[in-house]
Amino acid sequence: MNISTSMIVLTAVMGLFGIGLYCLLITRNLIRVLVGLQIMVKGAMLVLVFVGQSQGQPSLGQSMALTVIVADTIVAVVGLALAVQVKRSIGTLDIADISKLKR
Amino acid sequence: MDVNTAFSWLLIFPMISSAVIYLVGRTFSRSVKIENRTNPARWLALLALLVTGVFLYFVIKNVFSTGQTHYQNFGEVWFRFDGISLLLSLLVLVLGILVTIYSFTYVGKEPGEEKFYALLVIMIGAINGLGCALDLFNLWVWFEVMTISSIVLVAFYKDQAASLEAGVKYLIQSATGSVMVVLGIALIFLETGTLNIETLRMSISSPTPFLIIGGALMVIGFGVKIAMVPLHTWLPDAHSQAPSGISAMLSGVVIEVGLIALLRALGGIALSGGRWGYLLIGFGVLNMIVGNLLALRQKEVKRMLAYSSLSHVGYMLLGFGVLISLNGLMAGVGAIFHLITHGLMKSLAFLAAGVFLYNFHISKGSHKPLILDDLNGASRKYPFTAFAFSIALLSLGGLPPLAGFMSKWQLLAGVAQTQNTIMIVLVVFAGLMSVLSLGYYAPLVNRMYRKEPAAIVMEGEPVSIWMYIPMVILTLAVVVLGFVPSILYWLTGPAGYSLFIFFGQ
Repeated sequence: MNISTSMIVLTAVMGLFGIGLYCLLITRNLIRVLVGLQIMVKGAMLVLVFVGQSQGQPSLGQSMALTVIVADTIVAVVGLALAVQVKRSIGTLDIADISKLKR
Repeated sequence: MDVNTAFSWLLIFPMISSAVIYLVGRTFSRSVKIENRTNPARWLALLALLVTGVFLYFVIKNVFSTGQTHYQNFGEVWFRFDGISLLLSLLVLVLGILVTIYSFTYVGKEPGEEKFYALLVIMIGAINGLGCALDLFNLWVWFEVMTISSIVLVAFYKDQAASLEAGVKYLIQSATGSVMVVLGIALIFLETGTLNIETLRMSISSPTPFLIIGGALMVIGFGVKIAMVPLHTWLPDAHSQAPSGISAMLSGVVIEVGLIALLRALGGIALSGGRWGYLLIGFGVLNMIVGNLLALRQKEVKRMLAYSSLSHVGYMLLGFGVLISLNGLMAGVGAIFHLITHGLMKSLAFLAAGVFLYNFHISKGSHKPLILDDLNGASRKYPFTAFAFSIALLSLGGLPPLAGFMSKWQLLAGVAQTQNTIMIVLVVFAGLMSVLSLGYYAPLVNRMYRKEPAAIVMEGEPVSIWMYIPMVILTLAVVVLGFVPSILYWLTGPAGYSLFIFFGQ
């Protein structure tokens, strides 16, 4: 694997990660926050696959990425279930409106 | 029983039994219409934890007879059972069994009771596994299982706005931290080509940018779980809104487990030259200051206890930091002893606060928080609970002859042994912080014993026997450990040593 390919992959990873983090920081809608989280995880997964490839152990990298997909799906399911409950019992998905607990 | 079999079952059994608990409990609660029948899920959960304890006993027996560590692999994935694993498994099982008994009453009337027990068992199983994982990625998987189950447990009262808010905060911060950990693991793998912590330690000779970035990402990612100070904002909400048994587990075990996971991960890359220990000491100092100062101005009992967890994590970070950077084995052993005693006394404090909360508010269907004024004169109507709470608080504040004093003493004496000027200053600082922490513990004791009873105390319900049993055991443990701390040396010594061999130069 030559330098240019790895540069492209790492740039894409950093891009995805940055986009996700940016989304996480600026949005106030709970669903969008979860989407931002998903984008960050996709970046991390891409780097796992890439690392497995560049270390000559592609199956290891891919199996780790699959595990991350499973764990990440569970997080997304729990997060969306919480969002449904928030919408039902508080009536809004705006993060600023649901934070009532004192510092 | 063969040690390999026992070890496999130690990891697998909680996972299987959790599913069984949920299915049996769910079938029961759907089919039986009579209100007053108890759900068998609670007995199954207790049984599952006791059986796990039996497997742990067989592992311990063999590990002690054949040496200090036991290696085992499932395919390519290696596990290593050493002092730290022993400590974590034992602590989490003891506290888990007590919390299960306590929750018989506490969540007994809630609709989703079986979910509570199933998730509690799976969380305990994940912590068992996390202590033994010898592979960075495997460590992360157990960590994630633990995180997800604890998120759902925090949001257990799923119709309460406050508990949902705590769950959402906890989920978003933990999930972001987890992503950071995955990225860190990937970068370390990119640099070294291995994830096994022991192999990693051999193969690293000098610090490279990827290793340092990877380590920093892991400090941030696990730091969310440990509640290192800038990342602590989820903790007071989650710990105060969860059911009290879960608050006890979260505060007594889960944040310490994050700390152990971080130490395991750093153990692999510590030789890369980064002075990770100084970083931990810095965070420890911040944790002590912020935790104590914020706890001073809390009006709610459980939030106050949650903030005091921050300061106690600060002590542990100080001890482990000295272990890593200054080869202070005794400081590490002291930090491990503090980890145990903090688990016991903070669980006792949360359980006792939970007794008040349950009998004042929850049993009457209200979800108001327990504020400080509610405790006025509580000793008149609840003499034993008030006594247990006072023991827990005074021990947390570090008064002799209770367990909290002994562990802080060992920790700070270990730090002072390094003979380093800055460390001596930090010892004095930590001692002063301990005195400051009495500023919020002692008034609570005063309230319970010397004020006139509040109306809400006199209207409170009587305490059920299931809540007394764990409190009696924990109170005894806190007092006995204060007088005879040496009865736990067989546990803390090997645990400190098995951390030390990863960091010793």
